[in-house]
Amino acid sequence: MVITPVHYIIAPLIAAFAIPLLTKIHKDAARVVPGIVLFYNVIVSFVLMKHIREHGMISEVLAGWQAPWGINLVVTPFTGYLASMVSILGFIIWLYGFRFKRTLKGGEIKFYEILQMMMIAGSIGIIITGDIFNLFVFIEIVGISAFSLTAFYRSRDGAEAGFKYLLIGGFASAFLLLGIIIIYTQTGSLNMAQIAERMPDVPQQMKIIALIFFLVALGIEAEMFPLNGWAPDAYSQAPTPTSATFAAVVSVAGVYALIRVVYTMFDVEGVNNYLMIMGFVSMLIAEIAAISQKNLKRMLAYSSMGQIGLVLIAFGIGSKLAVFGALFLMLNHGVIKSLLFMTGSYFIYNTEDKKIKSLNGIYKKLPFVSFLFGLGALALIGFPPFSGFWSKFYILMSAADEKYIFLIIGILLVTVIELTYYLRVVGRIFFAKEEGEPASHKPSVNAIIAMSSLALFIIVIGVYPDLIMPHIQSAAEALLDKSNYIQQILSLN
Amino acid sequence: MEIIAIILLILLVGSFLTYFVDSFNKKWTGTTAFLIVLITAGIFFTKIKSGYQFNFQLAGLDLQWGLTDYSYYFVYIILGLSVLALLYSIKYMEGKARLGYFYGSFILTVLGMLGVVISQDFVSLFFFWEIMTWASFLLVIYNAYYKIKTKGIKYMIFSAVGAYAMFTAIVFIHVHYDTLLISEAIAKGAFNFEQYIYIPIFLLLGFGIKAAVMPFHVWAPPAYAKSPMSFTTIFSGAMSKMGVFGIGLVFTSFYLSSNPENFFWVRTILGWMGGITAVMGTIYALIQTDAKKLLAYSSVAQLGYIIVGLSTGTQLGVMAALYLAVIHAVFKGALFMVAGAVEKQAGTTDMTQISGLIRKMPYTFVVALVSIIALAGVPPLGGFVGKWLLYEALITESNNYILVVVVFFSSTAAFMYSYRFLFGLFLGQEEKETEHVKEAPATMIIPMIILAIIATVAGAYPGLIFEPAAKAMQAIGFQDVTWQMSSLTNVWGDTTDLFLIAMLIFAVFIISFVFLTLKGLKKTRYVGTKDISTSGELPKEWENLTFQLDFFKPFERAAAPLYKMDMNKIWKDLGKNLEAFFGFFRKIYTGNGQTYALYIVIFLVVLLLFRDVLFS
Amino acid sequence: MTEFQILFEQHKDLITIAVYGTSIALIVIGLYAVLMKKHLIKIVIGLSIMDAGIHLLFVAIGYISGGTAPIFSRGNENAGARMVDPVPQALVLTAIVIGFAITALALSLIIRLYKHHHTANIDQLNSLKW
Repeated sequence: MVITPVHYIIAPLIAAFAIPLLTKIHKDAARVVPGIVLFYNVIVSFVLMKHIREHGMISEVLAGWQAPWGINLVVTPFTGYLASMVSILGFIIWLYGFRFKRTLKGGEIKFYEILQMMMIAGSIGIIITGDIFNLFVFIEIVGISAFSLTAFYRSRDGAEAGFKYLLIGGFASAFLLLGIIIIYTQTGSLNMAQIAERMPDVPQQMKIIALIFFLVALGIEAEMFPLNGWAPDAYSQAPTPTSATFAAVVSVAGVYALIRVVYTMFDVEGVNNYLMIMGFVSMLIAEIAAISQKNLKRMLAYSSMGQIGLVLIAFGIGSKLAVFGALFLMLNHGVIKSLLFMTGSYFIYNTEDKKIKSLNGIYKKLPFVSFLFGLGALALIGFPPFSGFWSKFYILMSAADEKYIFLIIGILLVTVIELTYYLRVVGRIFFAKEEGEPASHKPSVNAIIAMSSLALFIIVIGVYPDLIMPHIQSAAEALLDKSNYIQQILSLN
Repeated sequence: MEIIAIILLILLVGSFLTYFVDSFNKKWTGTTAFLIVLITAGIFFTKIKSGYQFNFQLAGLDLQWGLTDYSYYFVYIILGLSVLALLYSIKYMEGKARLGYFYGSFILTVLGMLGVVISQDFVSLFFFWEIMTWASFLLVIYNAYYKIKTKGIKYMIFSAVGAYAMFTAIVFIHVHYDTLLISEAIAKGAFNFEQYIYIPIFLLLGFGIKAAVMPFHVWAPPAYAKSPMSFTTIFSGAMSKMGVFGIGLVFTSFYLSSNPENFFWVRTILGWMGGITAVMGTIYALIQTDAKKLLAYSSVAQLGYIIVGLSTGTQLGVMAALYLAVIHAVFKGALFMVAGAVEKQAGTTDMTQISGLIRKMPYTFVVALVSIIALAGVPPLGGFVGKWLLYEALITESNNYILVVVVFFSSTAAFMYSYRFLFGLFLGQEEKETEHVKEAPATMIIPMIILAIIATVAGAYPGLIFEPAAKAMQAIGFQDVTWQMSSLTNVWGDTTDLFLIAMLIFAVFIISFVFLTLKGLKKTRYVGTKDISTSGELPKEWENLTFQLDFFKPFERAAAPLYKMDMNKIWKDLGKNLEAFFGFFRKIYTGNGQTYALYIVIFLVVLLLFRDVLFS
Repeated sequence: MTEFQILFEQHKDLITIAVYGTSIALIVIGLYAVLMKKHLIKIVIGLSIMDAGIHLLFVAIGYISGGTAPIFSRGNENAGARMVDPVPQALVLTAIVIGFAITALALSLIIRLYKHHHTANIDQLNSLKW
């Protein structure tokens, strides 16, 4: 069987329908099957990455309709990189959540697993699709799964967060659709490559209005200020593996969509400055809001928004080095924030409330988890010798190349804020007085494997970044080489 | 594999190893750490000679590690002091919790410091600088857990601001001069104040914060005082010298490469920053009742001298600074070890609680005496030579007489706290609470005595330190550095024979010691603080009659206006206000879904209205 | 030509304006409901109305006046020129399905919220803030 990009989408879809049937045969099928599917996606990623390294990018047409007319799935080094990253992280998150809520009844866990899988599959779909309307559909798939997962817990404020998310997500889909309508009337195409090709002929005003609709709609997905009101609520109320997925997978897909639209489809001046300024504002406001949070997951959520802001700044700078740094940071943020959510989850699990102040001295109860949390916190702030250092380093380096001195100083000052609240939490974990009884919830083996593999990545890449850099480099090149993308897709058929 | 990489790897692996040894057997943690650093030091000093260089590529950057005489000079401080401090730690830390954490971070800190001095490019410098910073942060919060929100974080925030300032300078050196190698940057004049002024200023900020220069010194006293003493030895002795290392590197190259007229103001500002640091550090040290805090403030003051020395930019001044850097590491290391020993044995270092430990801890007392004399700058001990050079440099070569007065004042006032420290802990009557106190264990005494011996020998034979210092100075661009083994010659041609002075003083000392002891053995009666009666009234049990209570009250009253200018409070208020401001801002997230929706629509409308401004 | 088609040809402009006007009015009304109404169900209704407006707009854009349904049939092979654009219709069908799913999900969430908070006023749903 030849592996093609469509397997990314097909396998989860088949599994989603099969799981309810399979659970009739064995009740653990709901847990195992998504893992198999996500692992299959990892294999698909590796095979495809190998293939595009040898033969160049893949553009697969669906249902026999050629590229400008039919829907096509595109795997370039850029999308392949992001898709591999998302599928690997998705698999690790599944591994972590394998024993998640074992006490729950089979019915609920079934929905959780299916939705989680669909969310990851939808995100991969966002990344690899070459069709703007298909992008919309995948965003809605991710959206619906995410709204439901946010409201997964009946006991908490999940429904409230879910509703807010849904309301704002509704706006996102409406504006996205409006943007697509304008683009379709002006270019008569839905294929991104063809839109990009025809974009120079579009009247300037129409182009800008369409772009604004896209910026707002996708800005919501990419957690850009002031469109990110849903994010802290959703992150903090969702089950922890889902929060980790939001940070590592969904936000990556959101940023991808924004960047694809801005970089490939449109050729408008000023959008880079817009990304840079809004990225910086997002980062600043998010970190400011994070500093006095009392709830751990909420704090992590704000921190995620801040990191995404930094990614947007880097994309706004737009040089090759900056794009490289941004892609590196997306990977690092996905890994590190997943680790923080995973470890944070065990803290919360052992304290019963999500409050930071009840983490005091939890080191004694959960030494290994605390160690990993400290590692993650240091890595996220960007301390060497952890992977987070290099991404921040390259982003600042690229900002310096463009002589944005105030931007650099701003980013570094915001980093100081970030460092303050992270290290306060680390300090509490390790040192504050111990309260309560010993741990009742030790991490399970699969969770330890998942978390350790993330931590190992952080350290290994931190000491020897050359291991991953060529891939990111070719990804950055592929993103910036717009004409090649257009040519390849429109002539590959 | 390159030997330097192996050394760093030993330390890195050793750090984790120590961490895990602790989970198996707590007894061996300290010894393991000690052995790891000892082996590292052994390999380093035998295998690596000055002039060693190692080029490689990482992450698409050309990196260079290597050792000049200048960095080798600091390696002596780092590795020497670390070995002694770890030997001391074994007993000092015994019985404390989280030993793996402590020693693991300790070794990482050593790794960071070693990395900083072997870096010959800015990226590695920053890389190791940050490792050093966060590893030491972990140690600062080791004891101060209940103050994590203020004390530890203060250290980290200042360090981070410094590190990031340095980083900003680094990226701009890369942009303007297209190099990341320190030697190339120096050759291209990157540290020149005339071209891109923010580069040297940011570098000064970065290194200055580590060296605890006013007004960024506020992190230092609490961090020094709250860390475990065995670490403070390194912290104040070696890590603050990393700031000195950087300032020396950057500014000497700048001074030597440019016209003396043009950098007058730089020299003046830096000199005055050092001078004010020295005065303020000393004045604050005076009023401390806690011996650890006293030493912490004294460290800040001593670093001020070193900065003053560097600021002159002349051969004599830099020599004084380098000499003081070593000698400060030696005697301050010893003094912190003394404080640690007292803390370990008597349970506290509060000088109003304990006094008269001389009979209980005689060896510790001797070390304290020698070190305090060295600190005060009295001949024949090491501190004297450094201060002599410093004054000479200031008077003869910089013509900055007011600064001389300031430094002289501070160094005189240092006598007051030296006296307070010595008297408070060791002399005076014995307190009842300290009856059970015993001498510290041998592994704690030995490193202290080694340091005391170094301080003594350095006083008689300063040439032992001048020799590497002169080499170091030649490595950063000075020519024909002259020095003598055991005498000082000033510009007027007078020669002081230090060895002779030392011998004389020792003779006097020994004679009077023998004489007084013989005499004293017959007549002395030891009394406690409560063993008195005034006007026929016996003191109550609870009354605190230690000598130290309100020790410098008159002085304190006289200098009251000085104490009001508290930098600490300014920074603290700044932090509080900022946090309140942040708290106001996060109210943007009102929690109402409809408001968020409104934000989106407003944002959309604003973008649509200003579309011509934003996009084209 | 049927009677209806003749009628249509006569009032083409008017109908175009009416269709576009309706769709924009629907979007504005939906937006108003989402932003101003406090009742959760009214907000969801507003969201649906807004979606409906957008769908209508999309279909209207794809319409060619006097066009036929985009179906090739025997004996009508060269009808391509007079066909309305099929793509918007296909897309709108998809969008309607998605909108349906979102509405259903929203309503179920509202039921959950009402059970917990005993209110359907959005202003009182702010236990998660700052």
